Amino acid sequence: MKLLRTFTKGLWEELPPFRLVLGLCPVLAVTKSAETGLGMGLAVIFVLTCSNVLVSCLRNVIPRKVRIASYIVIIASFVVMVELASQAFFYKIYESLGIFIPLIVVNCIILGRAEAFASRNGIIPSALDGLGIGLGFTMSLTVLGAIREILGAGTLFGTQVMWSSFRPFTFMVEAPGAFISLGVLLALMNAFSKTQQS
Amino acid sequence: MEYIVLVISAVLIKNILLAEYLGNCPFLGTSKRMDTAVGMGLAVIFVMTIATAVTYVVQHMVLVPLNLGYLQTIAFILVIAALVQFVEMFLRKFAPPLYVALGIFLPLITTNCAVLGTAILCIRRDMNFPEAVVFAIASASGFTLALILLAGIRERLEISNVPRALRGTAIGLIMAGLMSLAFFGFVGVDGSLKEFIQN
Amino acid sequence: MKEAAHMIVVLVIICTVCGVALSGFREMTAERIENQVLMNVQGPRVNKVLEGSQNDLIADRKVIKIDGQEVLLFMGKKDGKPWAIAYETLGKGFGGDLKVMVGYDIENDKLTGIQIVSHKETPGVGSKVTEDQFTQRFKGIEIDLKAEPEKRLSKKIDAISGATYSSQGVYEAIGKSLQLYMAIKKQDLSTK
Repeated sequence: MKLLRTFTKGLWEELPPFRLVLGLCPVLAVTKSAETGLGMGLAVIFVLTCSNVLVSCLRNVIPRKVRIASYIVIIASFVVMVELASQAFFYKIYESLGIFIPLIVVNCIILGRAEAFASRNGIIPSALDGLGIGLGFTMSLTVLGAIREILGAGTLFGTQVMWSSFRPFTFMVEAPGAFISLGVLLALMNAFSKTQQS
Repeated sequence: MEYIVLVISAVLIKNILLAEYLGNCPFLGTSKRMDTAVGMGLAVIFVMTIATAVTYVVQHMVLVPLNLGYLQTIAFILVIAALVQFVEMFLRKFAPPLYVALGIFLPLITTNCAVLGTAILCIRRDMNFPEAVVFAIASASGFTLALILLAGIRERLEISNVPRALRGTAIGLIMAGLMSLAFFGFVGVDGSLKEFIQN
Repeated sequence: MKEAAHMIVVLVIICTVCGVALSGFREMTAERIENQVLMNVQGPRVNKVLEGSQNDLIADRKVIKIDGQEVLLFMGKKDGKPWAIAYETLGKGFGGDLKVMVGYDIENDKLTGIQIVSHKETPGVGSKVTEDQFTQRFKGIEIDLKAEPEKRLSKKIDAISGATYSSQGVYEAIGKSLQLYMAIKKQDLSTK
């Protein structure tokens, strides 16, 4: 039961980036379309789960003083793996994510989970925590990407979904659209949890 | 003269925060008050310039000759982390007033994607060394400019009547979006400027 | 002292293990990555400039040495016989390097077409050089092998208004490409 909660908390209670306001750069940058959002999310799930497991394995070996440096090395190694793998197997996604694949290294969510969760818990809970938070992050990215793609280009995952005379709001796929749609979504989440509480 | 175009482009047109989407965590995190925004901005200018110069040297003197280009990410983040530690120690020892002013922001900078992002962008865009350094200074200045502007807006928002759901980060994001829209007005300035210089 | 030694040992071990794992992973993916880059970056362009070829253009690529520089040469074949070649050259555009793929009909000394492989031009202005409207104009232009460097193309193509620098970058790349074409023509292509 407790394990299940470890997994599901990432999907709602600590849903990144809405509840856990961290790692905003990739959220804003790669949600031009649902596809790139999903690709980024999957990359983050992989890095987050693997680094959580490894950090948890090594939690009694790594001296406290150099723990952050060790975590960074571990995370960066998995990021390089994702970089190479995406280049080899998903070249289109690799190209559209561009600089944001190496930047997964500095995504605060990953280092944050390593420090706050994996360094204090066993391997299985850490893996579940990584999977849960990663899945939540992927969901948020895909939803935000879908909203921006539908309004900004009239398509979803590349197929036309809006009526043919629909004029896309190009603004939505540019930087201002990213900030504003994330802000509005965040406000909606806040409003929703307020009414739920009362 | 070309550096002027590079600077204008990095500060106003392709502003690292508002158009390139880099460094948004500290952008929203440290823009609630003007003094923290100024401190963070200065610390970023300081670290980003040094970090870009050092990583440039690492890339061209170590990684490329040894054919280790694929280790770029891991090498850069380690260099930046070590550098930030070193800067912190150096400031504490030799420039205590500066340390008091910037010290608390330095640890945050290691995980600031603007620093790593600029270092990687310089390599991906095949810049030469002076260009890379100028680009880093300009990007960091653009970061500081946007941060200070947003801090000014958010200080005023403090005393305004914002709907409850929008309070905090949400209104900050929307303000950032409006600023980004305003900065869109600069698109094309670099082209005309370049033509003007060349003629 | 012992604590410091412990810290250093742990860090060194972690770094070494990660380094070894990554270099192994790199070995495994290197070949695929090279192929993917060719297929996704050069592939579509080569297929366009060498339209009508019957062979697999990516598989039949080769590296040749001309005047001490290495050129990645794509060769189009019809009925088993090479009829056209294509390779990339660089020109300086407005925003930076312009990589242009130029295709040649080697039987009739004509351009089969050009494609922009990569560029850093301003979107919507300089980037017009990548559009078909511009690149298609180069199709079928005859080459005079004996003429002066500037007059080698039989027809002059006007620059795009508003994108003069970008257009000049394309001309520069084509000029360099023609220079290489002279050298390549001197070699016996059928044996390659």
